[in-house]
Amino acid sequence: MNQTELIRNLRNGDVRAVARLLTLIEDEDKEAEQILKEIWELTGKSYIIGITGPPGAGKSTIVDVLARTAIDQGHKVGVLAVDPTSPFSGGAVLGDRLRMSSAHESGIFIRSVASRGHLGGLAATTRFMINALELLQNDITLVETVGAGQGDVEIAQLADTTVVIEVPGLGDEVQAQKAGILEIGDILVVNKSDRPGADRLSKELQMMLSLGEHGKWLPPIVATTATSSGGIDKLWNEIKNHRNHLGKKKLQQQRLRKLKYDLENQVRQKLFNRKIIEVGSDKIERMATSIMKRDIDPFSAVERIIKE
Amino acid sequence: MSKKGKIRILIAKPGLDGHDRGAKVIARALRDAGMEVIYTGLRQSPEDIVEAAIQEDVQFIGLSILSGAHSHIFPKVVELLKERGVGDIRIIAGGIIPNEEIPKWKKMGIEAIFGPGSSTTEIIDYINGIAN
Repeated sequence: MNQTELIRNLRNGDVRAVARLLTLIEDEDKEAEQILKEIWELTGKSYIIGITGPPGAGKSTIVDVLARTAIDQGHKVGVLAVDPTSPFSGGAVLGDRLRMSSAHESGIFIRSVASRGHLGGLAATTRFMINALELLQNDITLVETVGAGQGDVEIAQLADTTVVIEVPGLGDEVQAQKAGILEIGDILVVNKSDRPGADRLSKELQMMLSLGEHGKWLPPIVATTATSSGGIDKLWNEIKNHRNHLGKKKLQQQRLRKLKYDLENQVRQKLFNRKIIEVGSDKIERMATSIMKRDIDPFSAVERIIKE
Repeated sequence: MSKKGKIRILIAKPGLDGHDRGAKVIARALRDAGMEVIYTGLRQSPEDIVEAAIQEDVQFIGLSILSGAHSHIFPKVVELLKERGVGDIRIIAGGIIPNEEIPKWKKMGIEAIFGPGSSTTEIIDYINGIAN
């Protein structure tokens, strides 16, 4: 497929074309940028649901059953599932598909994504991959993060509704008081709720929420047993409630705020890369050597490089 | 770590036998060689495999079969790939495939067959050698 052909096929929502565009985006290929410019007006039409939580919490299984529920209700669903890239080899085993067999049977588009060294729970290019998926005319996009740590909160910058999944047995109530991932949840899920400690975890989360400050939306806590689809209807209803709560106006405001933040980041990144190339790695290394020898402090070094 | 043009490979275990140790060992070895491995698990039908390969835009499909079902599954996968317009995806296979059949399968479109005793290095070198 040459570029013109690819763009034509993308406009027709061809699966192979979308899959190819996703690869170009992931590889940060120049061509991806050119193509996204062409089809930009067709994107932005799906409601984005982010699913995050620690490794093994059941994210993929929940995505699987949620996707099925959404399809049963007449939605068209696309899935991006991010897994970590090895910091040593640069390779990855992407195993989220393994738990998504029922979604797969429903014929939905699932793409496994490697984080490729990006921190924060997603890949650097996830935002644009969502846009590419939207060419398949899906009205719901489910994004599953890598098994998240306490600070992996990037999904909240991307999703319209963020679902944070917790499981019993990972820590005491002090964990629930800490800042970070629990704060970004529009909905909190206690998965594996048939396990001991699940009720207590729900209570601790409730306590955490009651102590915090909220706008008009108080995040609900939903108990699920994803492997048997237990509680999934309730979770789906809460997602719908949150969507209704946002309404058109708040959703637009929220998206605008996120796009602004993202645009700033993009500009920063681009300027940063340009400067680094301009200065050259030799100069950077010389500066670093001076810092190590204590000839200069890091703050002055930064100033000097910027002024260059 | 280069981000450009990473090799993506789907490792699938078609048929009914549950012996996936080999597939897992390969998945891990390819990961350690810097590739992105999409592991789809047990009991995948040829249709599942081809659909997943298209969505994941992989360059390679690795099929692990130990049950003898390959004589049904190989032709089906090759045929489906052609039918869906992705005949350029290369198929490699491992598991228990009788030696005397190997020329036949290669002719039909299985790129390479790695039987018992193959080293992971051999497989990695092979894939790196023919990857675009």
